[in-house]
Amino acid sequence: MPVPDDSSRPRLAAGCRWAAENEVAGGKKGTEETRIILFPEGAIKLQGTGRQVLERCNGSRTFGEIIAELQSQFKDSNPSKIRGDIGIFLEQLQKKRIVDY
Amino acid sequence: MTNPLALIAEITHRCPLHCVYCSNPLELAAVRDELSTSEWIDIFQQGSKLGILHAHFTGGEPLARPDLTELIAGARAAGLYTNLITSGIGLAEPRLKQVVDAGLDHIQISFQDSREDAANWIAGAKSHAYKIELSRLIRRHKIAFTVNLVVHRQNIDHLDEMISFIEQLAPERMEIAHTQYYGWALKNRSALLPTRAQLDKAVEVVAAAEKRLAGRIRIDSVVPDYYARFPKACMGGWGRRLMLINPAGKVLPCHAAEVIPGLTFENVRDCSLEYIWQESSSFQRFRGEEWMPEPCRSCDQRSQDFGGCRCQALLLTGNAAATDPACSLAPAHHIVEAAVADANSDPAISESVSAASFVQLQQLTQSLWSYRKNRNKFEPGSTAKTGTQ
Repeated sequence: MPVPDDSSRPRLAAGCRWAAENEVAGGKKGTEETRIILFPEGAIKLQGTGRQVLERCNGSRTFGEIIAELQSQFKDSNPSKIRGDIGIFLEQLQKKRIVDY
Repeated sequence: MTNPLALIAEITHRCPLHCVYCSNPLELAAVRDELSTSEWIDIFQQGSKLGILHAHFTGGEPLARPDLTELIAGARAAGLYTNLITSGIGLAEPRLKQVVDAGLDHIQISFQDSREDAANWIAGAKSHAYKIELSRLIRRHKIAFTVNLVVHRQNIDHLDEMISFIEQLAPERMEIAHTQYYGWALKNRSALLPTRAQLDKAVEVVAAAEKRLAGRIRIDSVVPDYYARFPKACMGGWGRRLMLINPAGKVLPCHAAEVIPGLTFENVRDCSLEYIWQESSSFQRFRGEEWMPEPCRSCDQRSQDFGGCRCQALLLTGNAAATDPACSLAPAHHIVEAAVADANSDPAISESVSAASFVQLQQLTQSLWSYRKNRNKFEPGSTAKTGTQ
């Protein structure tokens, strides 16, 4: 499977979900900076741009829209690098069956 | 000390199957001692506060608990990711929908083979067709689906066929698990351990399947430790990641830990989960590096494999604090080498066996195999509580 194309709508795969924030008092389920995605046999802690990308992968935004939003948010970065990095990031998660598109 | 990440909830030891390679303890917990619904829910809440992320429901057969739906809902409400590891026997609609609605995130079903006769024979029950039907039902729900395939000497030669079979069931994940030699599997080891040639072929088959299925099905596969250079990081290290709670509430660092003499295990009926994780002598016994003998103590691999498996060290050397004999550097590695040499030379069973000759094989090896005794009777979930069956 190649990287997503502009019209695909990335989303978390079946059985993969965000851990609710501060779900349990005193629990270590993420902080304001960090959120966790839970999936079979594992979890990833997300912060910064990785988190910003995946929070947009809700199945309604297209890959093209997600890229455009992040390109306008990070104006100092090279737009084609942003596109390339996000494509590879999502492709890797798709291989792990955490993201579908 | 890290916090635990996963809770293995062995909610019952009752099971309808009698797998020859079952690695559960030979002495099972009795039904009358099983923890109640509210005791389990309290455990999930305690576990979540400790930092646990995943709850794995297993057994025995977890479906034998009529309150499974409530247990899943309780774990989910506590903030845990829920995984049901099941044979599928006794699971159909509407019970499947009930567990999904209760918050089930992931279901895991193991297949014994792609061929019905062989699969049923290994399981000691007519379970194969049932599991195929259940796989179809599962795909109508939005949960993650893993198919677990147990691989050993008798089926490894048609691994490619088994992978194609699983592909049709359309899971997100496929786990190719070699038999682990504990419990019944250790007693049956000579009939289960593959030859080197079988293993080499299997590694190629898996690599080709990974490539072909990339993006559709993720394959997680591990080389059996008898053939590996370094031992497996059993349980991710003793007392580092996992807590297992048995049906009667005993808390163990792994499901086989009770074989180790001299360890005592606390019960959640007497102490908090936090106390057990932090203070119990059983969780501390092989945590960290203090307990390690040479060559582990000065080995570069010690933070990767943690010295391997304590239970395997005990079962093979008589000393739970020995380096896992699966390690090529272990003083007792000759024990594993001898088993591997046997596996590669025994003419009685080293010929590859096709499914067509399985009946014949069954007769041939009857004296070789120990069928798992099923002390506890299987009772599917009661209709009163779950409205199923």
